[in-house]
Amino acid sequence: MEPQQFQQAFRRLEAEVQKVIVGHDDLIRKILIAFFAGGHVLLEGVPGLGKTLLVKSLSQALGMSFKRIQFTPDLMPSDIVGTEVLTEDSGRREFQFKRGPIFAHVVLADEINRATPKTQSAVLEAMEEKQVTVFGDSHILETPFIVLATQNPIELEGTYPLPEAQLDRFFFKLLVTAPAPAELKEILKRTTGTATSEISRVLPEDGGQLVGEMQQLLRQVMIAPPIEDYVVRLVHATQADAVNGGPSKSLVKQYIRYGASPRGAQAIILGAKGNALTENRVHVSYEDIERVLYPALRHRLILNFQAEAENISTDQVIGEVLKHVSRN
Amino acid sequence: MQVLSRPSSPERPETLVHRLVAQLSRQVLWDSLLLFVPPAAAVVYVLALLFQAAWLSRTGAIVAAIFTLGLGAFAVLLRRPPLLPTVRRAAHLVDQKSGAKDHFLTLATIDPASQPLVLLTRLRLQTEGFLNRIQLRRDFPYKFKSSAYWSLGTSLITVVLFHLLLPIAQSARYGATVQERLRELAQQMAAKPELRGLTKELQTVLSKLDDPKISPQEKQALAQDMERKLNEQQKKEEQKDNRDLLSQAASALDGLEKQQQLASGQDQQKDQQKGGGGIQSNAPQDGQGENKQSQGGSGESKGESAAPSQETMDQGQSAQAKPKEQGQEKNQAGDAKNNQNQPDPNQPGKDPNKEKAGKTEGGAKDGAGKQQASEEPPPQGGPQADRFYKPGEGKEGLATKGYVTVQMPEELVADAKGESRTGKESKNTRARTQVPVSNVPLPAHVPNAPTEKQQVPIEYRGIIR
Repeated sequence: MEPQQFQQAFRRLEAEVQKVIVGHDDLIRKILIAFFAGGHVLLEGVPGLGKTLLVKSLSQALGMSFKRIQFTPDLMPSDIVGTEVLTEDSGRREFQFKRGPIFAHVVLADEINRATPKTQSAVLEAMEEKQVTVFGDSHILETPFIVLATQNPIELEGTYPLPEAQLDRFFFKLLVTAPAPAELKEILKRTTGTATSEISRVLPEDGGQLVGEMQQLLRQVMIAPPIEDYVVRLVHATQADAVNGGPSKSLVKQYIRYGASPRGAQAIILGAKGNALTENRVHVSYEDIERVLYPALRHRLILNFQAEAENISTDQVIGEVLKHVSRN
Repeated sequence: MQVLSRPSSPERPETLVHRLVAQLSRQVLWDSLLLFVPPAAAVVYVLALLFQAAWLSRTGAIVAAIFTLGLGAFAVLLRRPPLLPTVRRAAHLVDQKSGAKDHFLTLATIDPASQPLVLLTRLRLQTEGFLNRIQLRRDFPYKFKSSAYWSLGTSLITVVLFHLLLPIAQSARYGATVQERLRELAQQMAAKPELRGLTKELQTVLSKLDDPKISPQEKQALAQDMERKLNEQQKKEEQKDNRDLLSQAASALDGLEKQQQLASGQDQQKDQQKGGGGIQSNAPQDGQGENKQSQGGSGESKGESAAPSQETMDQGQSAQAKPKEQGQEKNQAGDAKNNQNQPDPNQPGKDPNKEKAGKTEGGAKDGAGKQQASEEPPPQGGPQADRFYKPGEGKEGLATKGYVTVQMPEELVADAKGESRTGKESKNTRARTQVPVSNVPLPAHVPNAPTEKQQVPIEYRGIIR
């Protein structure tokens, strides 16, 4: 696949989703980058901002199977991955695997933090290994596969915050913000009238193969060793106990309990590669790195109690890291 | 911004980056050279000065110079490597200048073998589009660093300071020791049979140099002559030891020569202070007898340096007694005669003639002394020809010209204290008149004349009234 083809397909997908979703251009772009990088996205925002609509629209534009799972405290793992049921066929009774909603290309895990940790962890294997194991049998998930989980930053009572191990499996964590006045006006115009927007399918029937090629091209994007070094320095600087290269006497030392994992560095580079392709470049630049740094690291930095007490956000700490780590 | 058109330049982007690395390396070398060469050159120059002044032996100076140059070269070598630009740095600079988004950096640093050819070709095409925006000479010109200016300035100041201060330090240090050093060298030379003849001559010169009756000029000439002989012998000598010895002796003699020059200069200054201390002016006075200073004094001493000796000049009376030898003195004596009718009101009872004659070789106007010294000396032993006098002057001195004599404050203090001076000086001082002296008539004293009335301050007028 040629880079131009990638860019064309990407632009068309963006345009189709933007038919329904007003604003959030950067959000849409980053979700698509994560999709083509083979990652999953955690969307955080208050209710009513169009998270679910966004994911639905994306799946429609991709022309791929879409399942939505509403996470509740009584949701069981088998409700997600599926279970074996006893079936009778021509006088013979046997257990047959009944696939759960996780078997789809695009899975929306709505309010993922409302399910119990047991159920949440059932998604872990699916996200990372792209397979599920039921009664000892492993079942491969669809390809391509993306989990778009949402969580509500308010109403934390009765919720189960995602453990760090599970958070780390998300490629990006994106914040869904309230629309600007002009955007809100446009939303009202589109949703309170009789006119409806139809999302047309961008990818062909056999879209999986095309997406696979696009994912392959994304990984081929070149990155210069100095830029790789920069990523390493950035990630290393988030380590609270970093001796060399860590910004001493800064917010990092003061507020971080655990820094970014190697998965964080992988996410930065893959995300940067995706960003480069969307700009019709076949190499990563420093700007690409800085553009994806926040969504890639925001959920991977675990702040300490002092940071919480002082209301310091991870974005502030990442900003501090960017300030301290030089490009050269 | 994407640029895909192939530029006319056949140069590859990687080549441009490597050319920039070479250019920046040269700039770093220049930076280092400009930083360390001026101080090294300054040190070498100072060493040469010290060698000339006989503070250093030839070997010592050469060793120190070589050491300095070596140190400079070492500093350049030590400083350069950390500052040498890397390919990354150069590529980054090209990216910045051309507005590329790390195109050059990627192309210059990735391993092409491990990259897909299609993407690599595409990247190269994109990068070549930026080549037209870059001209290495234009975009990366050499700029002098402030450190170079500092280095050059400091070195120049050091050289100038040494140049100015070394003669002073030399006169202070070698005041007594140059001759001792020469004696030591003479002893060493005496041990060498082939230098014995020259040693005797040197010892003779040294004994003459110690003779106080011989004037500094003669001593200087003797030293010059001996130095020349030593240099000639040095050229002839084949043994290195002898050459060194002769070189040191020549250097020491050179120092001595300078010392003599300095001594004669100091004599001249003393002449000036003694004779020209009484600065005279012919400016019309208001009759208050105030001390007035002018620059007349400095000029005369030059003329006097050509005149026979200090003694005669200092002693005004003796100068008067030998008018034929001292044409200039005669002028001043005549001047004093002219002023006889204007006795100093502040110094009743003293003979102004004598006093002025003692002081006023400076009293002759600027031109008188200078002209004689610089153009043509007056014929000795006979009356001075008219052509040596300035307009308005004659054998009778400064006729019809008013003047005032000013004595330096320190002389007044010394006079008042009666501090120790040489006998001749004391006599001169005593012979001098008290200042100010003027031939300008004072306003007539009218007894009971109304004095200037001081105004009563306005706020007190009513009260007093």
